[in-house]
Order: sequence, then structure tokens, then C-alpha cells
Amino acid sequence: MPVRVVETSAPSQISGANSEQISPPFCTLLSVGQAFSGTQNVSSLQKDEAWRVNVRIQGCDLDHGYLCGTMEALNVPMADTPVVTFWEGEIVDGKNYTFFTGKWEATSEDDIRHWTKFPSFSPFLCQVEVDGGKSLDLSNYPYIFMRWKEQYFVNVGTDCGLTIAGFYYVCFSCTDGSINGFYYDPNSSPFQKLELKSTNEGRSGFSFSSYELQ
Amino acid sequence: MPTASAAPAHRPMDLLDRLASPDPDIKLKALREVKNQIIGNRTKKLAFLKLGAIPTVASILAEADSQLADGDVSIVDKNSDYYNNNIIIQSAAALGSFACGFDAGVRAVLDAGALPYLIRLLSNSDEKVVDASARSLRMIYQSKLTPKYEFLQDKNMEFLLSLLNSESENVTGLGASIITHSCETIVEQKSLCDAGVLNKLLSLLDGSLSQRDASLESMAALFRNNPEVISKFLGPENGRALSSIIGLTKDRYPRTRLLACMCLIVIRNSSSCYLKDIGIKTKLVYLLLELLDDPGQVGDEAPFVFSSLITEKEDVQKLAFEANALDKFLNHLQNSQLHPKRFQGILLALADMCSKLESCRSRFLSMEVLNSVTDALSHDSADVRTAACICIRSVTRSIKNLCAGYFMNEVLVVPLVQLLNDPLASVQVAALGAISNILVDFTRGKSTFVQCGGVKQLIQLSKSMDSAVRLNALWALKNMVFLADDRFKQGIFMEFTASLLTSLICDHDACVQEQAFAFVRNLIDGSINSVEYVFAENGIILDAVRKQLESTSKAEIGIQGMYVLGNVASGNEFHKEAVMQQLLSQVNNETQSFIIKFLQSNDSRLRTAAVWAVVNLTFPSSPGAFCRLVKLRSAGVVPQIRNMVNDPCLDVKLRVRTVLSQAMTFGDGLS
Repeated sequence: MPVRVVETSAPSQISGANSEQISPPFCTLLSVGQAFSGTQNVSSLQKDEAWRVNVRIQGCDLDHGYLCGTMEALNVPMADTPVVTFWEGEIVDGKNYTFFTGKWEATSEDDIRHWTKFPSFSPFLCQVEVDGGKSLDLSNYPYIFMRWKEQYFVNVGTDCGLTIAGFYYVCFSCTDGSINGFYYDPNSSPFQKLELKSTNEGRSGFSFSSYELQ
Repeated sequence: MPTASAAPAHRPMDLLDRLASPDPDIKLKALREVKNQIIGNRTKKLAFLKLGAIPTVASILAEADSQLADGDVSIVDKNSDYYNNNIIIQSAAALGSFACGFDAGVRAVLDAGALPYLIRLLSNSDEKVVDASARSLRMIYQSKLTPKYEFLQDKNMEFLLSLLNSESENVTGLGASIITHSCETIVEQKSLCDAGVLNKLLSLLDGSLSQRDASLESMAALFRNNPEVISKFLGPENGRALSSIIGLTKDRYPRTRLLACMCLIVIRNSSSCYLKDIGIKTKLVYLLLELLDDPGQVGDEAPFVFSSLITEKEDVQKLAFEANALDKFLNHLQNSQLHPKRFQGILLALADMCSKLESCRSRFLSMEVLNSVTDALSHDSADVRTAACICIRSVTRSIKNLCAGYFMNEVLVVPLVQLLNDPLASVQVAALGAISNILVDFTRGKSTFVQCGGVKQLIQLSKSMDSAVRLNALWALKNMVFLADDRFKQGIFMEFTASLLTSLICDHDACVQEQAFAFVRNLIDGSINSVEYVFAENGIILDAVRKQLESTSKAEIGIQGMYVLGNVASGNEFHKEAVMQQLLSQVNNETQSFIIKFLQSNDSRLRTAAVWAVVNLTFPSSPGAFCRLVKLRSAGVVPQIRNMVNDPCLDVKLRVRTVLSQAMTFGDGLS
């Protein structure tokens, strides 16, 4: 039985507290409209399995450490069509969000256990153990750490036999636009790995579009 | 038992005849009756205005004034001074009343040349005459139509000070009103401050109710956007001033409380070092919410003052949200009998509340009041229609709800599209703002907008004579083609045509150019076939892009233009070569390509966009990449990129490294 995630409140938007801190770098490869594709390993003890996954960034608000988009799972065994979910992301910027999740049933030990799976996280481990990374300057670091939380199914009902109860610990490489992630849900197989690469959608190069809200 | 009935009111036409009477008694009575009939009665004011009463009254005033000045007692009556004074008092009062809250009346009073006479009467020896003139002038100086009082001219400052130093409450009030009306520039604020006006105004805070209110309002005019005047006034030697103003927020009169709040907000908004304390901000929020309940003018103005407190201030918006401000405004919105001004103010306050905080937008949407705001789109008042659009624009900034396609529905879209035909350009622009957001739709639901004729309207408005309309129409179109499917884009391009697009790229307004570029950038993103749009009609779009990029000095245009070229360069060989031609067509020994200028820009966003184009032109899997690399090296582009390997912007640095690593794959000796 799928577990419908109770919608969490919008990202905390307290400003001013740490306003002197610089936001993480804006990376064009993580801007709105950008697409990624790859797989999510959903293997269990019983069998090896990976679903093809496409991701599209739909919204980005760096001031609030906010990112959102859709995730499409392609060869889901129980579904007739690809399953699309809408997710919202928290960017770890030390201002809006730290490495500590503080919700979604994730303890700081769970956080550290997942973050340390990314080699690019290792320089921060000691500080994160102290304060969650609140005092770190991540502004010039070529990786962006995030949490992605699926909020709702876009094209199927909640009775599709899938769960979106968990969330992803995500590490984005600004260098090549690759994304690595680990799905965390205490009730699912641990460390399901998400691996995505920036896609060119049939082009010989990178194309960028954008919208602006008024 | 029979009682004496009041004398029947004369008809305006009859009264006008009586005003022309040579008998001073009849004239005086007629003036008094005119004055009494028009007080607070807009209809009567209009009726008299149409009959030409205002010039008549003004000339009666002028005549009586000159008779008094000349000592010319032409009215053969022992009481001529009595009559003249009373005629002046009544005619001044009538003129003030005509001007009170009635623009057409102000215009007529000004056209009749009454202003200089009324000012001259302030020097009259009769206190009552002075008082009546000051009262009348205060009404006239409430209107924006009244010409600015030039503080810096001749002896005007001296005269103003004499008003402020007067014993008469109405005269000092007039002095303050003139400041409120006419003090606009930093130079004026400083001169008034240097002349000691602020201390005078401070002393008026201890005066009567009307002096207090007038003083608070004019202090706000002196403080607005002038931290220097504020610090001079509120500095250590004058700390009492701020306490006095704060004290007045607890005054028993709502208007005084409102003006004290306004004055404090002006101080906070103009000089960030004052009133930083969260306590005072919270207090202001609660005070203004309370004043919203006032049934009169104070309640009408309260939401505007509230807006000035929270606009662009996310921390105060959060405080307001925690104080349930949103619910309070939304409750007021349910009242169908709202005065248009209050309605407008509430909509604008809601817009400010929802401008940054997603929690506010969520609450707004959960309250299901969007229909009330949608209804306001067809309100008789243009101000209300505009405010409703601005409110919708704020709420539709919710990316989460846009992604869910929540706003793309007929109930909201149809009335907004209808407003694109509004006779006022300001309403059209406001509607376009809301539409621009709603068109960021990822659910392929844009047909709702197309079916109600929205696309045709937008394209039509992109040809408007008004550049703000063109800009916003293009903005909406740009958002609409973002990630749109091929068929949809094709439909739009066919309506648009390459020639219209080219003319907008070359628009004389740089902001319109920028939006036109951004539209093209989105149009040619997605499927590789989309790139072909820039080659329509012999490539006039691409040529126009190059011409504008060669001549522009605006970074934003460079950014959008380079993304257009970059997106074309992510296509096939033909596309890439076309971009090469645009980049290098004008380059010779004396000139360099515009791309080098962009790579050297101080704006990291522009450098990023420029490097991306080079990444695409030298993309290793394309057959002509090496050849293009050689040409770009000869033109100085690659050497420039090599200089940027330690660019301070991480994004630029990483893209520069991409270009260099791509070059390495050819084993090219780039040095």
C-alpha cells in the first residue's frame, strides 16, 4: 500500500539570520529546464533491479535554497506508464538548510551515514558533526548537496503501488552536471542509489531555456 | 403644533444669479448657501461646477480683496468692510470646499486664478479672513493637481517659516500641508531641515489634533529616502523626537495613530539603522491591522501603510503572517460593500504578503478566496482591477502550484485575457504580469489560454505603441514557450512571423530587446528542429541578433543573445557554422568579435553565456569542431578563454575548463 506523504510546509524562509553567508554557486547545469537521465537501483535481497529515471528541473529559488522538478521512473514493474512525481529540494547552503535534515524520520546519524557515501563530502565531515555545516562556506565548492523530497504523483493515483515516503540525499557535480543520490526511507531497502547525467536531448551541445516569474 | 420651516434651498441656477447681485447682503447670503450646499456633496459640487460657479466665486473673492487692499469703498454702505470681510471668508470657504477631494473642483479653482489671492489673504489683518484662507488653501494643497510650492525660490522659505510660526492653528497646519504636498527632492528636504523646519514640526506634535496630524505627515515627506535628514533629526541630541512619534502610535485618535505609523515606517524604510527591533515591527503590524477595522478614511488608508511596512521585507512579512494578517485581510475581502480604495489597498497588501513567502501563498490558496480576487478583475475601478492583477501575480509565484497546473483554468485565465483589451495600458500591463506567471505551466494545459484567444492577444500587444505593454506581452510569450512542445511552438511562430520577431529584437527599448532575445532562446530550445526558426526568411532573426550583440552595452541583452547563439550552436553542423559566421563575419585585423568583449565582461552571467557558446561550437562529437576551434583561436577567442582558467566565478571557470578539455581531445597545440 503506497504511503502518501503528508505535505511538509514550504521551505523555511527565515532570512537575515545568516545573511552574510554566500549562497552556493549558481550552476547553469542545474538551472530550470535542465534535464537528467539515469537509473535508480532498487535492488533488494531477492533480486537486482534498476529503474530508468528522468529528471527535469522546473523551479529554482536560490535565495530560499529551493529547487523543484519532476522525476519520471520509466520501467516500473507495477505501472503501465512511466510514473512521474513532483519533488521539492532543499539546497544545503548553511543559510536556509544544513546537512542535518531534522525531519522525515532522519536522525543526524542517518544524515552523516548518507552524506559520507559521497566522496566530495569528506572535507566537511568534522565540521558537520559539530554544527551540521552551518558555519561552512560552500559557495565556491564544485558540488552542491541537496535533499529531494517527492511531494506527489503527477500522472498516477496514490494507489499505484508505489511509495514516495522517503527522500533523497543528493550530490550534484557542477563540473559535468552529474547527480548522485541515495534514497532514504526507513521502510525501504537502504542506500538505493540514484545516478543521473545531464542530457543533451539529441543535440550536439547544451541548450538552455529559462522563464522568469514577475 | 406648527413650527417655523427652514428657508427652502435655492436651485444652483438661482443661486448663481444671486451671486451676481450688486446687493452685498444678497451676495453674501448666496455665497453662504453655495458653501453649505456643496459641503461633502460631490453631486452638488459638479452641478455648480458645470454652471461656472467657481470662476464666479473666485472673481467675487478677487474683487473684495482688491477693494480691501485699495481701501476703495465702492459699496456705498457703512458696513462695507464688514461685508467685504465676510464675502472673502465665505468665498474662500466655498472655494476650499469645491477643491476638497474633488479634482475637477481643484482644477477649476486653479484655472480661476484663486490661488495667489488666497495666499495674499494670509497677510490680512483680520484673523477670520486669514483662518478662512488657510483652511481653503489646505484643501487645495491636498490635491496633486496643485502646482508644487517652490521652497527654494525667492522668499518662499521665509514665507513658509512665517506660516509655521503663526499663532493660528490653521495657518501652521497649512505650512505643514504645503511641505507634505511639495517636498520631493533631497535638496528640498535638506533646505527645509537646515531652515529649522523639523524642530518647528516637532513642536507642533504637542499642538492640537490637526497640528499633530499635519506635522506627522510633513515629517514623513521630509524623511522619505533621506537618511541624512533622518540622522540629523533623530541623532543623539534629538532622541526625544523618535519617542514622541512612537508615543503617538498610542494616541486616542485613529488618524494620528495611522500617521505616526506611517512616519515610523518612512524612517525605517529610508534609514535601516532605525527601528530594527522586532518588537516595534510587530507592534506596527498589529496597530495597522487594528486600524483596518476603522470604517472611515483611516481604514481605507491603513492597508496602503501596511503595504509600505512589509513590501520587499520578508522578515516583516513573516511577522505579519504570524500575526494572522493574511486571514484578517482575506476576511475583509469577503465584504461585498468595500469602498474601492479600501478594496484596492487590501488587494495590494495581500499581494505584498504573498510576494515572497510560500507559506502565505499556501494559506491564501487554502482560504479559497481566489474567486473574490478574480471577481475584482471586472470591477468598475481601474485601480481595483490593477490591484487584483498584482495580487494574482504574487500568488502565482508559487512554483509548486504552477507545476501542478493549479492556475491554468478558465475561471482565472478568461477574465485576465479579457483585461488585455482594457482601455488603460496600466491595467493591461498588470494583467500581463499575472498572465506571464500563469503561463509557466508544465502540465501541457496551455490550450485553455489558446482557446480564449490569449496567444493572438499577446502577439497583438507585442506590437503596442506602449513599450511597457510590448515588454510584458513578450515576457508572457517567453514564459509560454518555455519547454513547450514542437507543435505548440510552431503555432506560435506562425502567428508571430520572423519579421515581427526581428523588429522586436531591434526595438528601440533595450528591455523589449532583451525579452525578444529570451523568447527566441526558449523557442529554439528542446527538439533540434526548433533551431530552424532562426533561419526562417533567410535568417533575418539570426542577423538581427548579431547586429544587436555588436552594438549593445547592456549585459542582459548580451546574456540572452549569447544563449540564443549557444542554443543554435548546440544543433547540427549547419547550425554551428551559421553561428561561426555570425561571430566572425565582421572580424578583421582591427576589430574583434563581440564574443571577446562578452568574455571580458565584469558580469559573470555574461561570461558564462559566452563560454557556453564556445563549448557547443567545439563539442567534440561534431565533425567540424576542430576546424571551428582553429578559427576561434585565430580570432582570439580561444586565447581569451585560456586567460579565464582561474575565473573568480566557479561556473565560468568550470565551463572554461570544459572548452580546454574539449580542445585537448583534438590534441591541438593551443598555445
